[in-house]
Amino acid sequence: MWDWNYAFSILPQILSALKITVAATFSGFLLALALGLILSVLSRINIRPVSLVVKGLVQFIRDTPLLVQLYFIFYVFPKFGLTLEPFTAGILGLGIHYATYLSEVFRSGIEAVHAGQWEAAKALNFSRIKTWTRIILPQAIPPVIPVIGNYLITMFKETPLLSAITLVEILQTAKIIGAGSFRYLEGFTIVGVIFFLLSYPSSLLINKLEIKMNNQN
Amino acid sequence: MTPIVSYKKITKVYDELEVLKGIDFDIYPAEKVALIGPSGSGKTTLARLLMTLEKPTSGTIEVEGEYLWHEEINGKLVKAGNKHLRKMRKDIGMVFQHFYLFPHMTVLKNVMEAPVTVLGMSKKEARNQAEEMIEKVGLEDKLDVYPSQLSGGQKQRVAIARALVMKPKIMLFDEPTSALDPELVGEVLDVIKEIADEGDMTMLLITHEMDFAKEIADRVAFFNEGVIAEQGSPEELFNNPKTARLQSFLSRLN
Repeated sequence: MWDWNYAFSILPQILSALKITVAATFSGFLLALALGLILSVLSRINIRPVSLVVKGLVQFIRDTPLLVQLYFIFYVFPKFGLTLEPFTAGILGLGIHYATYLSEVFRSGIEAVHAGQWEAAKALNFSRIKTWTRIILPQAIPPVIPVIGNYLITMFKETPLLSAITLVEILQTAKIIGAGSFRYLEGFTIVGVIFFLLSYPSSLLINKLEIKMNNQN
Repeated sequence: MTPIVSYKKITKVYDELEVLKGIDFDIYPAEKVALIGPSGSGKTTLARLLMTLEKPTSGTIEVEGEYLWHEEINGKLVKAGNKHLRKMRKDIGMVFQHFYLFPHMTVLKNVMEAPVTVLGMSKKEARNQAEEMIEKVGLEDKLDVYPSQLSGGQKQRVAIARALVMKPKIMLFDEPTSALDPELVGEVLDVIKEIADEGDMTMLLITHEMDFAKEIADRVAFFNEGVIAEQGSPEELFNNPKTARLQSFLSRLN
């Protein structure tokens, strides 16, 4: 059944594809953080059409599958003149999808900031932008960092979906290897173990962070 | 003398509740005015309207001869835009009942933040001025401490320093000692008294500390159910209250 020699022989190839998986995760996540923050701030702005459109958009993206969105970006956008590389389409899909979740996380952090903080900023004549950047966000974000970290891990584990839009990340690499040798056991096992080895310590780290933050409050 | 603040026919309605029922009220430069009255009588709302934290339902407020909540565009009086409000706020500062210090900043940063961010002052200059204000409220040994490590009285003194460093012409104190343990009230009142004694600043003090109001106020206004039921010098009001409302309010306190 399990062939160690074979497993070690394909390991370098899978590990080199890990670069793609990790790069897609971090690029997608950075995009998700930026967009998520923008969405959460926009949904709080007192212009009804803006906040309604933002809320509708967030709801729509959250309630449709990521895979459908990825297909749409990769296969349908070219019909409208926007042809993207698999990697770019992948981080765009991940970024937009997770932005809608992160915007909710940011929103909860922002709502937890006491209303008096807005009033104090106003009484000191802060501009709107400076109120956000100097007073509200520095208080809203630290408490939600553990939740954000959990989304990072979840998103990392979702990256094999990108193989569906022909991105050769680690799962796709293992599949290609398997298709050539008709041995799937080692390749897919290695992929699973890699995900576990990266996710589990990260989640422990986040737990620790969470405990530390709770103690501070 | 022309008033520095002039409320004209001010009303404020929340849902169905009319909190202010047509207030006409002038405050003169350097005057120390105390607002007293039962909770919910509208005195805090009057200060919040001046700080632009809330909008009047009707009526106008003028600060140094300029409309606060309105501006004139092509000869027409329209709702004030953000730019106008920010210009008007420059001269007004406020101290809140619950301090509202910035919890993510040290004492020094709390006081330095607005001069740097709002006034564009250099960090060095802001630090000098902040340290001066913090010394004035007697907390120079707490510069690098976070608000969570301070007592209520110390927090309120930092909040006063934070407002003072912006050099407002008008300072609003909204029940500055109501959230404090009794033994901490004195230290905050001492600081406010010191500012009052300097003379220049126009002060609006909302308080339940009648002795303190008597001590520092040039004029006391008694609020009751959204109107100013009685006003005058502290001696007149406290020694010789005319309305039955004020008489019963004062007797309940004693």
